[in-house]
Amino acid sequence: MTTMATPTKPAAEAPAPVYNPKSESAGAKRTKSAIFHIVALALTGVVLYPALWMIASSFKPNSEIGGANTSLWSSNFSFDNFVTAMDGIGGVSTLQFFTNSLILAIGAVVGTILSASVSAYAFARIKFPGRSVFFGMMIATLLLPFHVVIIPQYIVFQQLGLVDTYIPLLIGKFLAADAFFVFLMVQFMRNLPAELDEAARIDGAGHVRIFTSIMLPLMKPALISTSIFSFIWSWNDFLGPLLYLNTPEKYPLPLALRLFVDQTQSSDYGAMIAMSVLALLPVLIFFLVFQRYIVEGVSTQGLKG
Amino acid sequence: MIDRRKFLTTVALGTASAAVLAACGAPAPAQTGSAENPVTINYTWWGNDDRAERTRKAIALFEEKNKDIKVNGNFTDFAGYWQKRATEAAGGGLPDVMQFDLSYMRDYGQRNQLLDLGTVKINTDAFDKSLLPSGQIRGKTYGIPTSTNAFAVYYDPAKLASLGIAEPDGTWNYDEFNKFLAEVGAKGNGALFGGTDYTGVWWMFNVWLRQNNIEAFTEDGKLGFTKDDLKKWWNLTADLRGTPALVSEERVTQLAPKSPFGSNVTGTEVTWDNFMAGYLADSGAKELKLVPVPSDDKDNLGLFLKPSMLMAASAKTKNKDAAARFIDFMVNDPEVGQIFKTSRGVPASKTQRDGTTFEGTDKLVVDYEKSIEKYLKDAPEPPIVGFGTLEASFKRVASDMNYGKLTVDGAADAWFKEAEDLIKQNA
Repeated sequence: MTTMATPTKPAAEAPAPVYNPKSESAGAKRTKSAIFHIVALALTGVVLYPALWMIASSFKPNSEIGGANTSLWSSNFSFDNFVTAMDGIGGVSTLQFFTNSLILAIGAVVGTILSASVSAYAFARIKFPGRSVFFGMMIATLLLPFHVVIIPQYIVFQQLGLVDTYIPLLIGKFLAADAFFVFLMVQFMRNLPAELDEAARIDGAGHVRIFTSIMLPLMKPALISTSIFSFIWSWNDFLGPLLYLNTPEKYPLPLALRLFVDQTQSSDYGAMIAMSVLALLPVLIFFLVFQRYIVEGVSTQGLKG
Repeated sequence: MIDRRKFLTTVALGTASAAVLAACGAPAPAQTGSAENPVTINYTWWGNDDRAERTRKAIALFEEKNKDIKVNGNFTDFAGYWQKRATEAAGGGLPDVMQFDLSYMRDYGQRNQLLDLGTVKINTDAFDKSLLPSGQIRGKTYGIPTSTNAFAVYYDPAKLASLGIAEPDGTWNYDEFNKFLAEVGAKGNGALFGGTDYTGVWWMFNVWLRQNNIEAFTEDGKLGFTKDDLKKWWNLTADLRGTPALVSEERVTQLAPKSPFGSNVTGTEVTWDNFMAGYLADSGAKELKLVPVPSDDKDNLGLFLKPSMLMAASAKTKNKDAAARFIDFMVNDPEVGQIFKTSRGVPASKTQRDGTTFEGTDKLVVDYEKSIEKYLKDAPEPPIVGFGTLEASFKRVASDMNYGKLTVDGAADAWFKEAEDLIKQNA
């Protein structure tokens, strides 16, 4: 075992002693651990700096954000930006934007969970004619860039008179149009032992029973990762709401955020950043509550059944 | 911001499919409303919270005076605005009335997306005749300017005073202007630079071309100037690059999205006069002043009023008359002027301008435009299709030049190649 060299030992030291973990002194171990932690903390600092900058800036007056101001903290600490942010825009309260975002995000989670799990069950467990063709087609939609379908989709919804409603934004979720989630669940289900549903079939269970009583409970990790991703993607979606919503009262947060910064007039960076901080909270909470399942959900995907 | 090529493909794709769909339905008859049963028109604009608030007031006033029309307002930020319009244009769902930007006028006008406003009743008597052509393409009026802006040199009197530099009076040629920049840079001692490289700004180049009696674009949408003109222009500040007279490109990039002037890093800035409010807010300065741009010809400053925005209507609107009445109201009514002040630019219609009281910052901008009145020439026609890309590449190439990656000759070659390719593509 000579693969691990301690970073404290210069490589030029001669003659190179054969590394033996057992003979390593407690002191060397401690140095190694300290160095590891310092490096890790430094990296964390680099990664987290933008978030820290955002939070710090939300308490600064507008004229001290960005530009020639490089200090992180300001002596003019105030909550004014949050007050402006909560004032709303053009007569629509910020609470309304939050509610709209929540409706869309929860709608997306419910729709995706319901539709993707059922579709995945069909692909993974039911042998029907053309199954592999349909599966291939579903995967093919993953390769289709979103921008290709924008216009045709818009025309369809426009002709149906559904523009300026939440239907164009949510209907796809309820029809399992998010191929990524269907695929994720199919892969998960394929890894579940077939003996389980065979046993259930012998006991007289039909597809509905097998799905609800056996598959769904076992799929919890996949369902949770799907919820988390689906929630975050919907929460952050800008283009969809931009194209389909016309009434400011129906706007979700990402649209509202942009309205504080107008390059053609004056920009209120302070209010925008304060609102970003607020907009981040629900996602952060959602993530913190469910994060251990994310790792579980994704890592189980890789296991061979 | 959505880039031009993507925009064009989107619209082209969409118009094709929309045409197919449109062929299926007969045009709906024009509707008229009454107080009991009002017609509804959609109006959309870009802008911030402040503009949303002002527009809401203007709409309320309009609805009060026109009981037979209801106006549904909606707004987005500038970049999102054009993404949304491109999709709607493709789907045939453009709003009845739209706030419009000069650089998008030709794209939409040529594709027959906009209503010819010459066919409806909008009063343009109170408009300066030199301004109206900017909303017209081949004799058809697609946009009515709401307000104007003009090019100017900004400076902060307090900063100049602290350095012991006399305030400029705005009668200067390029040599004198450069000397002024160098003086500010030298006395600024690393803390304050003279200005940003004004030769990197397309519109300032356009002003200079006009000072030399050259049109930027020919009638048939080609470039009206030569590579030598461009080299001459970029050589104007060749001696200043890399000196304290001009802030370095690295610094400009660091400061983005704020401007160096707004960040109190430069003493002057050459840009549109309606940036005043933004600069005041960004810099926290007590007072900023405006003077005319330099010119080597004392009698020809090359200045013009550009519509800061226009009002346009969709070609497919079912309520032409209601749309026309709303546009007329927004551009002419003095009370609307009182609501917006100069937040859209200086009101273009004389009726509206005279009916508005300007104070403080607003007054500075209005007074500036009054002071240059005798130098004003015709406003530019809507720029060629793909102008946004040209303008952006002008800025990028000039910035590469300031980084020292390109020589003036190399930069001129690079930009001309891009420009000619683009014009060929869109021809």
